Amino acid sequence: MAIRANPKLITELEIYGAQDVSKCYHCGNCSATCPFSKEPYIFPRRSMRSLQMGLEAKLESDLEPWLCYYCGECSTECPRDAQPGETMMSLRRWLTARYDFTGIARLFYLSAKAEILAVILVALIAGAGFLLYGFSQGDITQYGGPDAFLPAASVHIFDWTLAVVLLALLGTNCARMWWFTVGRDTKVHVPLSAYVRKIYLLPMHFFTQMRYAKCEQKRPWVLHLVLMLSYVTMLILIMFFLESMWSGPAVNWSVHAFGLAATAGLLVTTIVFLRKRLKKSEVQYQQSHETDWMFLVLLIVVAATGLLQFTLHRLGLNTAANINYVIHMMAVVPMLLLEVPFSKWSHMAYRPLAMYFADLKAEAMVSTEREPVRAPQAA
Amino acid sequence: MDDLKIGVFVCNCGTNIAKIIDCDAVIDSVERLPYVAVARTYKYMCSDPGQDMIQADIEEYGLDRVVVAACSPRMHEPTFRKALQKAGLNPYFLEMANIREQCSWVHDDPVAATEKAAALTAAAVMRVAHHEALERRSVDMCPNTLVMGGGIAGMSAALDLADAGNRVYLAERSDHLGGNVARTDLTAPYLDSARDMLTERITRVVEHPNIDVLLESQVRKVDGFVGNFQTTIRGKADDGAPTDTVYDVGSVVVCTGYKEFDASRITHYGYGKLPNVVTSFEFEKMLRAGRVTTKEGKAPQYVAIIHCVGSRNLEFHAYCSRVCCMTALKYAHEVKSAVPGAYVSDIYIDMHAFGKGMEDFYRRSSEIKTLFLMYEKNDYPVIRKADATDDCDMLIEVNEILSGETIEMPADLVVLMVGMEAREDSEEVAHLVNISRDKDGWFIESHPKLDPVATTTDGVYIAGACQAPKDIPDSVAQARAAAARILARTARGKIEIDAVFSEVDEDKCSGCRMCNELCPYVAIEFDAEKRRSHVISALCKACGACVAACPSGAITARHFTDKQIFAELEGVLA
Amino acid sequence: MTFQPKIVGFLCNWCSYTGADLAGTSRIHYAPNVRIIRVMCSARIDPTFVLKALHDGADGVLICGCHPGDCHYSEGNYKMMRRYPLLKSLLADYGIEQERVRLEWVSASEGQRFADIVNDMTERVRALGPSPVKAALEADLAER
Repeated sequence: MAIRANPKLITELEIYGAQDVSKCYHCGNCSATCPFSKEPYIFPRRSMRSLQMGLEAKLESDLEPWLCYYCGECSTECPRDAQPGETMMSLRRWLTARYDFTGIARLFYLSAKAEILAVILVALIAGAGFLLYGFSQGDITQYGGPDAFLPAASVHIFDWTLAVVLLALLGTNCARMWWFTVGRDTKVHVPLSAYVRKIYLLPMHFFTQMRYAKCEQKRPWVLHLVLMLSYVTMLILIMFFLESMWSGPAVNWSVHAFGLAATAGLLVTTIVFLRKRLKKSEVQYQQSHETDWMFLVLLIVVAATGLLQFTLHRLGLNTAANINYVIHMMAVVPMLLLEVPFSKWSHMAYRPLAMYFADLKAEAMVSTEREPVRAPQAA
Repeated sequence: MDDLKIGVFVCNCGTNIAKIIDCDAVIDSVERLPYVAVARTYKYMCSDPGQDMIQADIEEYGLDRVVVAACSPRMHEPTFRKALQKAGLNPYFLEMANIREQCSWVHDDPVAATEKAAALTAAAVMRVAHHEALERRSVDMCPNTLVMGGGIAGMSAALDLADAGNRVYLAERSDHLGGNVARTDLTAPYLDSARDMLTERITRVVEHPNIDVLLESQVRKVDGFVGNFQTTIRGKADDGAPTDTVYDVGSVVVCTGYKEFDASRITHYGYGKLPNVVTSFEFEKMLRAGRVTTKEGKAPQYVAIIHCVGSRNLEFHAYCSRVCCMTALKYAHEVKSAVPGAYVSDIYIDMHAFGKGMEDFYRRSSEIKTLFLMYEKNDYPVIRKADATDDCDMLIEVNEILSGETIEMPADLVVLMVGMEAREDSEEVAHLVNISRDKDGWFIESHPKLDPVATTTDGVYIAGACQAPKDIPDSVAQARAAAARILARTARGKIEIDAVFSEVDEDKCSGCRMCNELCPYVAIEFDAEKRRSHVISALCKACGACVAACPSGAITARHFTDKQIFAELEGVLA
Repeated sequence: MTFQPKIVGFLCNWCSYTGADLAGTSRIHYAPNVRIIRVMCSARIDPTFVLKALHDGADGVLICGCHPGDCHYSEGNYKMMRRYPLLKSLLADYGIEQERVRLEWVSASEGQRFADIVNDMTERVRALGPSPVKAALEADLAER
């Protein structure tokens, strides 16, 4: 069955960052040099080819873009300067937009203005909401206690509501990802038992990023791991230990130690990444999409205002602390609500899922090969 | 003949001969032959030290005859003849034994090859003993040249010859100059205008005082020999009636070009049935008119270009037509500039980007977002009409190798890169000037590497696509090379022609006149008074037909006498 | 020891000799049993050459010229073509097997064809065995 090629797809992908993919003449140096390219997942050349020809259905079902960590070796080796690394990145962006059923992700990727506007809008609504709530039931000069401007318990409820909404959105996107990459693949059948047996892969990849460690350069893995673990630490502290975090002004070392460490981690790594992107110091930082900047900027604002929060609270400057908290939430809410399901941050779910699905499919492909395709000829 | 002294030189040719043939064993076997005064081997006989060695031995041993067992005489006979001449020996006292092209290069058994080499060398030794001193003849070289074909090659050759002060007769079959380049819009890889290139050439040719441009003219006959040809050209008189004129020329340059492959012979491309499938030349017409549209008059959204139509195909022509790959890329650029939003796909087998600026051109074609689709030889794309609901006119099914998928590529306009073919009149032309054609109909050069413009017929040169598919730079280079070869001769005013011809021994001739009718050059005349036949040596080409036919054995073929051949037979069968 | 036939080849300079050279430059291998003698044109080949070759010990004789229509001297090969049947009938009279003498047209670009002809002819003559002429001459000599 012939697949209809769609040469127009590339015009759309240019906006996602794949301006150079037409230059690729398929020498294969990139796939040869890639440390992760191994049967049955060979990349980036094959993905570049599917993109050049506009084989949308195939691209949608590919896991290869998520198996790439953008070490940039391929782009360095490319004799035609076709930027395979950046092409894989743009495919990740495109897939993020595809997995999302709402169409919001696509809008953000295609229009930087739309994303900025959305962020500002959500920030303003969040800010207004928090201020209204605060003024309606509290005193802006009070941080803790019965007249607290923003009581921890209320924030806690808000946080959990937000989390549920996020998970629902991200969850549907992940379900769509499964459907595109595994579910509707008629050639490979993964038995339910395999899913259960290999479930450990999800938390393992999520927490250790061990595949990233296998790249030739170790520093990107270290930086990213610190960033991620810092964030996860903050997440756990806020979701489960918000009251303890809120306590003060005396320092509650059992939680604040973690909080400070995590914030330090966030600030340092985010600043390092921002600097790299600004300086275009390595291959993988030479081309930045608007979504890349948005992600880092929001993170740094969140971390900075978080640290400021801690400081102001210790100093007993309650009003300032409350106002800062509103500002903090004006950054946090768009970051979570928009970045996680509809933009760059979704990779925190898609990557571990991709490892999991890739492993399951590879195993299923091998066992399919072992079975005879036809009955043996009669002797 | 008792005091004859023969020197035998066996060449190693590096390892070309020595790898298979035991040259020392050959020396041993020929040393025993009568009259052999010295026999030795050397690494490269044709080199300066090699030739010096021969000359030194001629002096030292007082050699009368020389045998060189080495490469084919077609390669180095002139070289060694010169060496003999320098040492004061008549150049025809040389005989070569071909132990390379016809021995070491074609046999893998060293014992059998050495035995054969020894036999061939012995044959040469026995033959050379019967060689006679012959003198080369010097004839006048007519400085005029006939150039057949008024395309880019023909005009380039004509201009160089005419600029040097020689008369040129430029015969062109059609009613205009420019040939196939005149049907082109731009040229790859720099997208220069073909028209500008041609205008410059044509203007200079037409205005040149030394060039007679004969349009609507056909060469009917070419008689004579190098330096002294008479050519009959049929042109049109003022009243339109055909008229024959005879011109005296010293050389002929054949620049008759090529014709394109008929794409309708390949049914799965739908040429002739699907209106929007066109050939490269038809596309050039569109480009020259400045309008790239479908048959329905719309600007095409998808344009596909298919390579190797009729070329690299065992069913039609196995060879590559050389120019089409870069021309296809040229079309990609021209489409993008004529129809900026169009999607261009280039469907090829291999990308032949061999020349100056071509690899760069290929890269630039990628940069303008041409989609390259690769198919495998013998697994051709198939074009069919798309459904009315589709956003394109046709769909091309390709088993695409770079992706491993079978895809359907949309196309509103398909350009078929048709290959080059030998013209239908190439057989006629070959017979006219007495040159050969290879199995594809292209004219054969003297030597594929070292002599690409001369032919087996002295004085007749070939240039341009009529020799093999090639692009404009190479055609012009060949044409100007042919001109240079001719100028080297006309500069001397006289040329030496081979001393080999046949002669009648009047004492033996019985006057039967059997030979008179046999000679294709009408070189034998009958002296009615003496009642004997006589060979006009200037016209004789030494084919030997009369020699074999003479019932009295009265005619001798110089340098190919019966005695010499019999001696060779004895040597070969000893 | 397999019988190795000795075959003499008369090749015309312009087409067949060049074709044989092409087999060489293309490194196409063939049987070493043919010894080539160059003539300018196949028209030069006197039937006595063929007889002399057989007399001197050749087991077979191969004659090669240009394809009809392509002769460098215009019609030389036609003359060979006319002589050939007469030669063959003469050989038949002498009791010499027809397959020992063969006429082939080889062009300057047919290196592979030349090699194929040599290989084929070598095998055919090998199958026929040594030429009866040799045996007859030896017997004649012995009688005297």
